[in-house]
Amino acid sequence: MNGIHDLGGMQGFGSIEREENEPVFRADWERRIFALLNLTIAAGQYHVDEIRHSIERMGAAEYLTTPYYVHWLHAAEDLLDHKGVVTHAELEQRMAELAKKGGK
Amino acid sequence: MPALPKEMVAIAIKTGASARAEVATAPRFKAGDKVVARNINPPTHTRLPRYIRGKHGVVQHNHGGFAFADTRAHGLGDQPHHVYSVRFEGRELWGDDAGPRDAVYIDLWEPYIEPVA
Amino acid sequence: MDEHSHTEPPSEPALRIKALESLLVEKGLVDPGAVDEIIDLFEKRIGPRNGAKVVAHAWADPAYKKRLLEDGSKAIAELGFTGLQGEDMVVLENTPSIHNVVVCTLCSCYPWPTMGLPPNWYKAAPYRARIVIEPRKVLAEFGVDVTPDVEVRVWDSNAEIRYMVLPMRPAGSEGWSEEKLADLVTRDAMIGTDIPRVKA
Repeated sequence: MNGIHDLGGMQGFGSIEREENEPVFRADWERRIFALLNLTIAAGQYHVDEIRHSIERMGAAEYLTTPYYVHWLHAAEDLLDHKGVVTHAELEQRMAELAKKGGK
Repeated sequence: MPALPKEMVAIAIKTGASARAEVATAPRFKAGDKVVARNINPPTHTRLPRYIRGKHGVVQHNHGGFAFADTRAHGLGDQPHHVYSVRFEGRELWGDDAGPRDAVYIDLWEPYIEPVA
Repeated sequence: MDEHSHTEPPSEPALRIKALESLLVEKGLVDPGAVDEIIDLFEKRIGPRNGAKVVAHAWADPAYKKRLLEDGSKAIAELGFTGLQGEDMVVLENTPSIHNVVVCTLCSCYPWPTMGLPPNWYKAAPYRARIVIEPRKVLAEFGVDVTPDVEVRVWDSNAEIRYMVLPMRPAGSEGWSEEKLADLVTRDAMIGTDIPRVKA
């Protein structure tokens, strides 16, 4: 699809920001979603191509302004809901339960 | 499929999951062939970027057969095709202001390209 | 306007992911031990030191270098660096007349077994947008000045082949052990945005 992900040749993005000694993962949630997405692929839930396309469908503004691993989270939620494996409703409910328990 | 158990993680990562697949038909192109990237604009998944579409390039190499991303992304199966490394000159992609010695190499599944006389 | 009106910010990723993980574990789709193992693998055990060993070996052994350039996957497998996101490897030789640099304009494809996970700048919009259209300007920003007589080849990893640059061995490294040579090879040198140099 002609999404914002198709960046080759676009202009106006400014300088390439680099960080010295950048950590592999910036936060624990990044570690976890990295693991979960790879393990659900290994469990046969989806192919990497489906993940890429899910990310492509994020919407331009969200795609450009969210951290990289939020893209992975989007794909996991989107595909697992679409396949009825973990529905949005189930996820919302579990989040509410965890938030109540102070589970941040 | 069940969950990948902890003991199998290292071996699974070391094995990976190559997308290589056998293609039933003979390759349509060979190294040296002049090709043009098709102007396709599917709303579905494709790995043919806009900056390459409609541009003329030269086939460098046939990587072999691979599962087709455009179909696999939509549960339409692997449908393998030959994948070619194709070279595009910078000036072909970006116009005369591009450097005379800049080139882009990109991997194109056979359905992405057409021959040029 | 009511000063208490505001839009709820979206839930933190952390809470969503915690919820997702607990559901996936409950449903038997993810083994919690596997989660910790795969994190450890990519955070601590797989990284650009692997690729540096491949480069150093190629510099030290011309026969290996030949095999590496002919069949990247097979030669890299000799050193044991195989697997996910590196199943099909092509190694690109930098020469005095050709400078290679790698990108994935469409997402973040990168050869994990030899180089670990990519740095943020490789995955973000500016690099992906600019390297294909103004490679020399981008390379200069990275401190790599390519003279006009040198050809620049930008490789867009849009399919499943993964690319790694074999940088030129720097002057002043003659007779060095492979271990010492590997220390010269930065991650960026294997992307093509750095050049190995012997420090004066």
